[in-house]
Amino acid sequence: MAVTTSTPADARDTAGAGAEPTPRRRRGRGANVWLGVVAWIIGIAFFFPVLWMVLTSFKTEADAYTPTPKIIFEPTLEQYEGVFSSGIGPYLANSVGATVLSTLLVLLLAVPAAFALSLRPVKKTQDVLFFFISTKMLPVVAAIVPIYVVVNEIGALDNIWTLVVLYTGMNLPIAVWMMRSFFLEVPGELLEQASIDGAPLWRTLREIVLPIVSPGIFATALICVIFAWNEFFFAVNLTAANAGTVPVFLVGFITSEGLYWAQLSAAATLAALPVVIAGWVAQNKLVQGLSFGAVK
Amino acid sequence: MTATTVERPAPAPPTGGAPMIDRAEGWRRRGPLLPALIFTIIVTQIPFLLTLYYSLQSWNLVRPGSQSFVWFQNYVDVFADSQFRGVALNTVIMTLGSVLIAVVLGLLLALLLNRRFFGRGVVRTLLITPFLITPVAAALLWRTVLLDPTLGLVNFVLSPFGADGTEWISEYPLASVMAALVWQWTPFMMLLLLAGLQSQPTDQLEAARVDGASSWSIFRELTLPHLRRFIELGVVLGTIYLVNTFDTVYMMTQGGPGTASANLPFYIYQRAFLGFDIGQSAAMGVVVVVLTLIAASFALRLLFRTFSGEEEAA
Amino acid sequence: MAEVVFDQASRIYTPGATPAVDGLDLTVTDGELVVLVGPSGSGKSTALRMLAGLEPIDAGSVRIDGRDVVDVPSKDRDIAMVFQNYALYPSKTVAENMAFPLKMRGMDKEERGRRVRQAAELLGLTEYLDRKPKALSGGQRQRVAMGRAIVREPRVFLMDEPLSNLDAKMRVQTRSQIAELQNRLAVTTVYVTHDQVEAMTMGDRVAVLADGKLQQYATPSELYDRPINAFVAGFIGSPAMNLLELPRSSGGVTLGGVEIPLPRDVADAAGSRDRLTVGIRPEDWTLESTEADAGSVIKAVVDVVEELGSESYLYAHLADDTSTSIVVRGPGRVQVRFGDPIAVRPNSDALHVFDVETGARLP
Repeated sequence: MAVTTSTPADARDTAGAGAEPTPRRRRGRGANVWLGVVAWIIGIAFFFPVLWMVLTSFKTEADAYTPTPKIIFEPTLEQYEGVFSSGIGPYLANSVGATVLSTLLVLLLAVPAAFALSLRPVKKTQDVLFFFISTKMLPVVAAIVPIYVVVNEIGALDNIWTLVVLYTGMNLPIAVWMMRSFFLEVPGELLEQASIDGAPLWRTLREIVLPIVSPGIFATALICVIFAWNEFFFAVNLTAANAGTVPVFLVGFITSEGLYWAQLSAAATLAALPVVIAGWVAQNKLVQGLSFGAVK
Repeated sequence: MTATTVERPAPAPPTGGAPMIDRAEGWRRRGPLLPALIFTIIVTQIPFLLTLYYSLQSWNLVRPGSQSFVWFQNYVDVFADSQFRGVALNTVIMTLGSVLIAVVLGLLLALLLNRRFFGRGVVRTLLITPFLITPVAAALLWRTVLLDPTLGLVNFVLSPFGADGTEWISEYPLASVMAALVWQWTPFMMLLLLAGLQSQPTDQLEAARVDGASSWSIFRELTLPHLRRFIELGVVLGTIYLVNTFDTVYMMTQGGPGTASANLPFYIYQRAFLGFDIGQSAAMGVVVVVLTLIAASFALRLLFRTFSGEEEAA
Repeated sequence: MAEVVFDQASRIYTPGATPAVDGLDLTVTDGELVVLVGPSGSGKSTALRMLAGLEPIDAGSVRIDGRDVVDVPSKDRDIAMVFQNYALYPSKTVAENMAFPLKMRGMDKEERGRRVRQAAELLGLTEYLDRKPKALSGGQRQRVAMGRAIVREPRVFLMDEPLSNLDAKMRVQTRSQIAELQNRLAVTTVYVTHDQVEAMTMGDRVAVLADGKLQQYATPSELYDRPINAFVAGFIGSPAMNLLELPRSSGGVTLGGVEIPLPRDVADAAGSRDRLTVGIRPEDWTLESTEADAGSVIKAVVDVVEELGSESYLYAHLADDTSTSIVVRGPGRVQVRFGDPIAVRPNSDALHVFDVETGARLP
């Protein structure tokens, strides 16, 4: 299932190329130009809040806090300096740690599980998948007290490993679902051939299947990173000075800084930056991943 | 079918031809599933069971030592609580409304992005950004930069139309929250549906063109049915995630004014952390789980039916 | 090198339903190339997969070199298989693909490299060794699949419709290459196809299957000259044999108002049956002049003419029975066109006669 770029419009264009009179073709291209314009407008509109936030982060407070939004201004880095001097560093480190570790753990658990679930679709498979998804239906908010109590009992409050474990549990269901659909894409014949060639299961998985599903692994990892990095509720309730993550920093920042918009914008930009860049860089894989991931 | 043997009944013939996939093999195949399964069970079911346990007690942190078993009294109270019902309604509106709008918008955007035009990649990059932003940051953005009555962009843009000074957050709390949610989740739907559009076999479309179908007919008869699976998946996943929205409500409106924009998770949070009523909030949590399970199981069985049909055909 | 024996082997998917493979008895002698042929659903692929260990053996047994393999997993059966879609590992180069089974057996690098190079040379793949499958054409991929099977030096080669995905010209070319290769290596080979031309040209012996049951197992010429039942008769040969249900007459059977005599032994075997299925191959008709008298030739009207250059095939319906159609082989430059009348006479010593109900050959 390749990601094709030809579209109905294109098909019409090429089909019309020889047989149709020129005006028809031009109309087709013209429509595309208009579509392009519309698309750009919508794209910019959607993106605008983010753009504005980034712009604001480079303003002085005076410039930021005006009734008439200023587009021309003198940029300054003082907001960012302020943010860093407020100690965002450790929080960043914690976020990176929790995100990376939990994502690795998720992949470690989900990939074999998904492989097992894709080998033989039995009715049990549906039940297991349903179970996985059902774990996401409990509002975290309701379970926070028991979790707090348990974590406290084992002395793991304000500990980054707590977050790692919880984030893993949070992302595992989606990861299993997504990876499973990737595995289903692997032609059964390859597995049969490998078994005839004498490869034990784990070897087949490692050498043959894994290279084929690697875009899927990538896409799944990206989704896990997005959700883990942006997670707020667990972090804010179960951590304090030691293991706080970036969203926690952001909120704490707000409470103390109140209405300092420019600095707020700087903090928010920093908070969002890593994941946004990751998402931008990997978006092709994400689309590719979603096209046979999470869907079949 | 049975749990252990994978696909065949016990062999009857004299040679007793043992199945190629025997018991041990069956376990070997299921084995890799176990770590993930066990992990999930431990991490999710323990809290759930504890929540259930607490829900059966009357336990308010302000009154230490008053913890006692009241069995289902909490549940009765929950359903009698008119605020709860209002909040539940909010949740339904917020969730379904946001999901549906996001799906429709996502579909339109996906259709747009499926065409070739100048800078398509850049536009796509721009469009997916809202999904990548931390919900907390996004909520803040909406609350301050956009919707602030005096300084926000929205009012600035709308001032020529006389909407100056509208207090979005206080006058239209639910809508404000939904706007932020839709902004964040439309990209997800768009990506999903874009993937669906791109996976449609083009020869189908070409054949329809040759048969003389108009663009609208093609969309209605061929594309939409093909996208159905994707739409369903988007709706199910979106609902599961959105029902649990907390960050946005917390940052934008704190559920207010009153409980006008509170959804169930936030309400539960209020009860537990601000009201210190552990028992009640636990009971509410359980109720939410049950309701979500019921709703989702219908949706998911539907989804699986469509899936398994596809799998067998493939 | 090995002997393969199917001994009343069966594959039953659901108890009570028709078996996919029903009591197959087949012996492939050492070094032989046996083709399993039949329409889809005939059980030929299933039988092959039973031999490969990809399908369980529900009844009977399958033996390789005398050893019952029912409990032996695929990798220990010392077989190599070529799949219809080649099943090449996309992330590995040609060389790695071919070396893979050897690697799985723990062969050292030197030996692996040697065998791979040898096989590559045999198949003309040497310059492609570093490419990945997606950079190869269909024919090249097919050869890589074969190479992967050859390096194993297995006891049995299994091939499941390996030529189906090739275009017609490639198919003819590869067909002879495979046959030659098999001859040279002298490895016992079991080959599955639905194409009877492939079967006839490649097999030392051919097994015709239908509905899970073995119909006939013989050399190609025997299948052609003495098909054991109407199914085999109609299946082997292209265009298919004319199979006509004809009424008995005193001396034989009647067709188009003309009496066709039956040989003595056939008439005796036919006994008192009043209708018989008679088979006449397209090339066993003689074209007579249309002027000949009615009693001695069968008159027909041409519907379609297929000109192949070296010969032609005339599809016609009987003049006095438009519902009965026949196929007649004619000379290369035939002058007949649609709607023209022709007159034919069958060779009475080239008749194949079958019972109308059972399809069994008479005698």
